[in-house]
Amino acid sequence: MTDSQPAARPDALVRVEDLKLHFSEGGFGRSRSVVKAVDGVTFDVLSGETLGLVGESGCGKTTVGRTILRLYEPTAGRIVFDGQDISGASTRQLRPLRRRMQMIFQDPYSSLNPRQNVGNAIAEPLEVHGLAEGSQADRRVRELLEVVGLPANAANRYPHEFSGGQRQRVGLARSLALNPDLIVADEPVSALDVSIQAQIVNLLEDLQAEFGLTYLFIAHDLAVVRHISDRIAVMYLGKIVEIADADTLYNSPKHPYTRALLSAVPIPDPQVERSRERIILTGDLPSPADPPTGCRFHTRCPYVQPERCHDEEPLLRPLSGRESQGQVAACHYAEDIEDGRLAPREGLVVRAEPTA
Amino acid sequence: MSIAEAQAAELAVEQPSGLLKDALVRLRRNPGAILGMVLIGAFVLLAIFAPLVAPYGPAERVGGLATNPPGPTSEFWFGLDDQGRDLFSRIVYGARLSLLIGVVSVAVGLTFGMSLGALAGYFGGRIDTVVMRSMDIMLAFPGFLLAIGLVTVLGRGLGQIMIAVGITNVPVFARLLRGTILGQRESDYILAARSVGTPGPRILFRHLLPNSVAPVIVQATLACATAIIDVAGLSFLGLGPSDPGLPEWGRILADNAGRLNQSIHLVIFPGFAIVLSVLGLNLIGDGLREAIDPKLRS
Repeated sequence: MTDSQPAARPDALVRVEDLKLHFSEGGFGRSRSVVKAVDGVTFDVLSGETLGLVGESGCGKTTVGRTILRLYEPTAGRIVFDGQDISGASTRQLRPLRRRMQMIFQDPYSSLNPRQNVGNAIAEPLEVHGLAEGSQADRRVRELLEVVGLPANAANRYPHEFSGGQRQRVGLARSLALNPDLIVADEPVSALDVSIQAQIVNLLEDLQAEFGLTYLFIAHDLAVVRHISDRIAVMYLGKIVEIADADTLYNSPKHPYTRALLSAVPIPDPQVERSRERIILTGDLPSPADPPTGCRFHTRCPYVQPERCHDEEPLLRPLSGRESQGQVAACHYAEDIEDGRLAPREGLVVRAEPTA
Repeated sequence: MSIAEAQAAELAVEQPSGLLKDALVRLRRNPGAILGMVLIGAFVLLAIFAPLVAPYGPAERVGGLATNPPGPTSEFWFGLDDQGRDLFSRIVYGARLSLLIGVVSVAVGLTFGMSLGALAGYFGGRIDTVVMRSMDIMLAFPGFLLAIGLVTVLGRGLGQIMIAVGITNVPVFARLLRGTILGQRESDYILAARSVGTPGPRILFRHLLPNSVAPVIVQATLACATAIIDVAGLSFLGLGPSDPGLPEWGRILADNAGRLNQSIHLVIFPGFAIVLSVLGLNLIGDGLREAIDPKLRS
C-alpha cells in the first residue's frame, strides 16, 4: 500500500502518509467495535497553497485536520511537518511546533471560552509561548484585531457580545497571534450566514496573501471550496478518493463519487440547470465501523461493476493514457467511465429533461 | 434595601465575569431570591453586631433558675430559659455560630470535593475511576449517618463537628464538578487552547474551572443550609459541641424539648431561627440556579 503512494513533493509543508485513526467504542458488557474514522490517507499540503478537503459529514475530514495538529493520536501512519516527523512527538516536543500550526473552528459559539474576554483569548497564545506580556501583548492584540477588522475596544468585551461573524474574526485573530505557517480551517464558514461567509472567505484570502499562510480548508460547501482552494482532495468514508487542482476537479471529475458530489451543486443558470445530468446517490453513508469491502463506494456507486469493485481496494492513481496534471483518483474503472464505455445503473442518473 | 445591595455587591466581588453579572441582574428580578437575601442579610448583620443587638451576653444569668421559665415580656423579648438566661440574646449570638458552621463546613467540603472532582474530571481514566468509586462508597451512607459516625470518631469539638459535616459534602461537590468538567472537556475552546500549546494546569484553571463552577456555587449555597440543619440535628441528638454554654440553636432546642408543654417559647424561637436561616439560603440557592442555568430560564 505505502510503496504505491506518490512520493513526497519537495515543496510540501505537510506530508501525510497512510494516516489512520481508529476510535474504539463500547467496552463493558458490549462487544468492542473499532470506528475507522480515518483509514489510510496520504496527501501533501504544499507551502503557500490552499488544499481543500471535502466530503460528506462523517467521512473523517475533521478528524484528519485535528490529527495533523496532533490533537488526536494517530493510530498509524506518518505526519511530517516541514521535514520533521511529528506523528510520535511528545507534548513537550510539540510545544514549539504549535506556534507554527493553528486551527480555526467551525462553530464560533463554542470555540471561544465564554468567561474569557476577547483580549485575553487573543493574548493567551502569546503568554503561553512567552512571546509578549503586559503592554506589549496589548499592542499585539490591538494589531491583530485591526488585521481581522475588529475595533480595538473589542478586547475588553466578552464573546457573547459578538455576532457569529465577529466571533469567527476573533478566532482568526487568536490563530494568527503566533504567526503560524499552517492553518487548519475546519469548516470556518459553514455556521455563518451566506453574506457573512463571503466576508470571512475574503478575509482568509487577504490574510493568506499578507502573511504567506498555508491552509488546509475543510468544508462540505463545494462552491466555497472551489473559490478558495488551489487543490482539492475528496474524502469518502475515511479515504481519499480523488485529488486534483480545483479547476481540473470541477471541470473533469474522474471518480464517480466526485461526479455525484459535483452534480449536486446547483448551477445558477436555469437553462443549464434544467438540461444537465444529475447523479443521485442512494442510501446512506455506510458505517465507518464496518466499511464495505473492496471499493468503499461500491454500495452506492452508479457505475458499480460485478468484478473488482467488491473485493479489490482501488488505489489513488493517475488515469492511464492521458495528461494527468497531478490528478489522481481511486477508481478501477475511471477511464471507462470517462470515455463513456460504462453506463450508470438505471434510475440513478437524472438525464436532461426535454426542454420545450 | 441596603441589605440586598450589600449581598449583591458581595457576590459580584466573588465572580467578576460577564456571565455572572448577567446572572446577578436576573437574580435581582427574582422575588424569592430577594427575600432569601434579605433574610440571610439580616442574619449576617445580627451575627456581626451581636454584642450591640443582644441586651445580655449569651451565658449571662439575668433571672433565677426555674422549672417553668417565664415567656416573652417587654424586657425579655423571647423570654428566659431554665438557667435564667435571656433567650433573645442567646439566639442572636447563635446566629454567629450557625453561620460559622455553615460557611466552614461548606468550605471544607468545597476544598476537598472540588480538588477531587477536578482531578477526576480533568485526568479521567484510572484516576477518575479510583476517585469516583471512593465517592460512591461515601455516598452509600446517608449523609447524616455518616456525620454521626465521623463525630463519634473525631470527637465533639465545634471544629470536629464542622469538619464531619463538611466531609459528608465532599462526594456531592466532587461528582458535580467532575460532571460539568467532563461536559466542557471536549468543547472546541478547550481544543483551541490545546492547539496553541496551553499547558494542562492552565487549561484547568483558566478554562475548565471558570466554566464549571456555576452549579457548584449553587450547590454550596444549598449545602450551607443543610450544614446548619445537620449541626442542629447533631446537637439535638446530643452529639453537638460539648461546651454546654454555646448558644447553638439545635442545642437550645434539645435542652428544652422536655419543656414543650410548659414553656413553648423555648422551642419555638430557636426553631424559627433555624427555619428562617435555612429558608433564606435555599431561596438564594434556587434563585442562583435559575439565574445561572440557562435550561431553567423561562
